Amino acid sequence: MSFSTMLMQLSSGMVKTTGIFFWTIILSLPLGLFVSFGRMSKNPALKNIVKIYISVMRGTPLMLQLMMVYYFPYLLFGMNIRTFRFPAIIIGFTINYAAYFAEIFRSGIESMPVGQYEAAKLLGYSKSQTFIKIILPQVIKRILPSITNEVITLVKDTSLAFSLSYMEMFTVAKQIVAKEATFTPFIVAAIFYYVFNFVVAAVMEHFEKKLSYYR
Amino acid sequence: MKKYVAILAAVCLAFGVSACGSSSSSSSSGSEASSASASASGSASASASGEATTDESERTTFVVGFDAEYPPYGYMDDNGEYTGFDLELAQAVCDMEGWELVKTPINWDSKDMELNSGSIDCIWNGFTMNGREDDYTFSIPYVDNSQVMVVAEDSGINSLADLSGKIVGVQAASAALTLLQSEEEGGQKALADTFAELQEFADYNSAFVELQAGSIDAVAMDIGVANYQIKTRGEGYKILDEALNTEQYAVGFKKGNTELCDIVNKDLEELTNNGTVAELAEKYDISDLICLEAE
Repeated sequence: MSFSTMLMQLSSGMVKTTGIFFWTIILSLPLGLFVSFGRMSKNPALKNIVKIYISVMRGTPLMLQLMMVYYFPYLLFGMNIRTFRFPAIIIGFTINYAAYFAEIFRSGIESMPVGQYEAAKLLGYSKSQTFIKIILPQVIKRILPSITNEVITLVKDTSLAFSLSYMEMFTVAKQIVAKEATFTPFIVAAIFYYVFNFVVAAVMEHFEKKLSYYR
Repeated sequence: MKKYVAILAAVCLAFGVSACGSSSSSSSSGSEASSASASASGSASASASGEATTDESERTTFVVGFDAEYPPYGYMDDNGEYTGFDLELAQAVCDMEGWELVKTPINWDSKDMELNSGSIDCIWNGFTMNGREDDYTFSIPYVDNSQVMVVAEDSGINSLADLSGKIVGVQAASAALTLLQSEEEGGQKALADTFAELQEFADYNSAFVELQAGSIDAVAMDIGVANYQIKTRGEGYKILDEALNTEQYAVGFKKGNTELCDIVNKDLEELTNNGTVAELAEKYDISDLICLEAE
């Protein structure tokens, strides 16, 4: 296989990797925020359910979760899951990453001084206004480094989609290695991941700088 | 700030859409049953009528599950398309039946779930039938395989007995592993017990690199695969004359799916008689392994 064909194949795998990445980010960040609300809820039932959810998601391997999500409809209802592969991957990644993001959001939200809520109340802000206009912007600022951490981990975790036979970049690399009997595809794959993460880190750093007002 | 959010959102959408686009486009270019349809493993089968076990006369697609890291039976060729002896044979069957072949590379560890859940119609990829008869409905065997040991040429290991106290590698979930763990008649558990360690590998590449590096002393694998690996990697390896066993490859269908199995059997016989099988075997250099005989 020529080097250019190999690059082509890995690039087409990279498109799929990127697809998993962006869908997961888009879905899991908002979901994580809502999960963090549940985690901080005064309703003990809701709070405990969310606590169990986070504990299971963080306490079991992502690969296992992906397989559970994919085979669940078949095992339980005997459904045909032929077209469910990609959705299953996105659902699996999203519910897993939402749990991590939820805890990051919680750490940010709970770090806000009570005085700010009191002041906002005195100034006549409603609860939702207080959260959206005063608390959340500061929270995002504070948690951005932790979010960057998780996002970079996600880029590398996309290779776990292999457990559901999804041909993302690393799976393609392994197939070429099997055929060619050299390690070159792995090195190229490493460069792909590194460049992707380099861009992610640069974008996040840019946001951090933009948000570092009042300093 | 708003501007950046907008840009980021746009990028996200673009990637999301392109990801979907690349997979759905392959169902339209269905006749080209190559990497396009295979790479879109998940959604390419969307065009299928759905149920796997309904009336076979209405079948339009034939979803073959294979391990794309298993040359010469199933692998990615120089152009990045999935090919191999087994896949070309499957294509020949599809041509006869007017089905569209969907090549779905699977994770070998989850082949049972893929098959039982109906994600794939069969496992067709150097699939050993011996010892698995109770779990699958098998076609007629088409390749006489044997499990062999590959060692470094200068290792001084010349027989299975020399492997005593050595570290032996084997692919996870492979027939070789089952064989080395089997205490039944013909099993090689007794031999495996003489090894210092039985190391499981995910793929043959890492096994060969470790063999080269000297961290393991031998690798157990199918003879067809061993021949391919040695041919690709060049000098420095040899296959022990003593084989661990002899066994057969067949196409594995979901247990009880005899209807589909019968169709494939009939086609395999016909393909043998008209010389297609011999031709393909020649192409992939496994002629002496074929056990189908023309009438």
